[in-house]
Amino acid sequence: MKTKGTHKMLWGLIYVITFVVVFAVSVLLKLTIDPSGGKYSVEWSDAIGTVHTDLVYGEKDANKFDLYLPADNSRDTYGLVVYLHPGGFTSGDKSGDAEMMQWLCSKGYVGASINYTLRDEAHPEASVYSQSMEIKESMPFVIAEAEKLGYKINEMSIGGGSAGHCLAMLYAYRDAADAPVPVRMVFGAVGPSSFYPEDWKCYGLDKDTEESKAGAAELFGVMAGKKITSDMFGTPEYDEAVKDISALLWVDENTVPSLMAYGKHDRIQPYEASIRLDAALTKYGVPHDYIVMEHSGHGLQNDYKQYALYMEKMEEYLDIYMPVK
Amino acid sequence: MSIMTKRVIILAVIAIVAFVLGRLAVRAFLNLLLGGTLFGGNFL
Repeated sequence: MKTKGTHKMLWGLIYVITFVVVFAVSVLLKLTIDPSGGKYSVEWSDAIGTVHTDLVYGEKDANKFDLYLPADNSRDTYGLVVYLHPGGFTSGDKSGDAEMMQWLCSKGYVGASINYTLRDEAHPEASVYSQSMEIKESMPFVIAEAEKLGYKINEMSIGGGSAGHCLAMLYAYRDAADAPVPVRMVFGAVGPSSFYPEDWKCYGLDKDTEESKAGAAELFGVMAGKKITSDMFGTPEYDEAVKDISALLWVDENTVPSLMAYGKHDRIQPYEASIRLDAALTKYGVPHDYIVMEHSGHGLQNDYKQYALYMEKMEEYLDIYMPVK
Repeated sequence: MSIMTKRVIILAVIAIVAFVLGRLAVRAFLNLLLGGTLFGGNFL
């Protein structure tokens, strides 16, 4: 009897240990395995390129950028890829995008990741508009610095994640005509492109109540850096007030090719706004790809295959619209 | 079926369940962090 009981206890222990060990291994695998198999990361070394960090483009503390220069400096001209970091316009840093910049550099592009003044306690005046203007102002400095280091830039593309995607679209759609070199394409994920309260269900701004409308007016006013009142919603005056931060309102037949990815369950910025953007790009015949991640939120975290498709498309867009010559 | 065969089958089932639950736990955690699909992504 004693032996049988001991056996039972022993097997019970084995079952428990097996569960705990397999559970832990499964968690580790899920957290650490790169679904792309490391295709978009490189072992950074002088053989691939060099990075110059914290180069200055303006007077504000955050007006700095990192420049990634490919090892091959023998070409006459180079394409520049700018990437803008995410962080809800209030946090984040260019250093978070190092892996992508290194990969782009390994493909032969000059890469630049640019910081902008975040809206925080120290900078309560910062807005999406002021950030977009800093990005615009940075570009001549980025290109001049690359040339100073021996890399003549003759064309550029711009991309970003979330807030960075919003700013990238603003530069590509609103400011491309003033860019020092031609802008060939824009790419990015989960960036807000328009500010219609009915789309912003994620914050309850779609409700037809005074409180909801006042909340929308305050939020969008902060983002636009100007006073917006709830009675402006639905009027041409409102579109004019938010145009400077609404990439959607700058789309026309001259808009550059656009690659974008959005999560259908995004609770940080509205998926619905991306439907408007897709419709506008389609209406004006702009070459674009609109990748919808059916099971994901803002982090695009549940659609590995679609995310892989987004990365493949990014590579394809670069090959088509800004090939390394 | 011998007792040992039964135990091995139970062990295999436990391992499979633990593996699936481990992945689901990460997914649930990420959804919680990132506003995904769990409970409509309504955590944030």
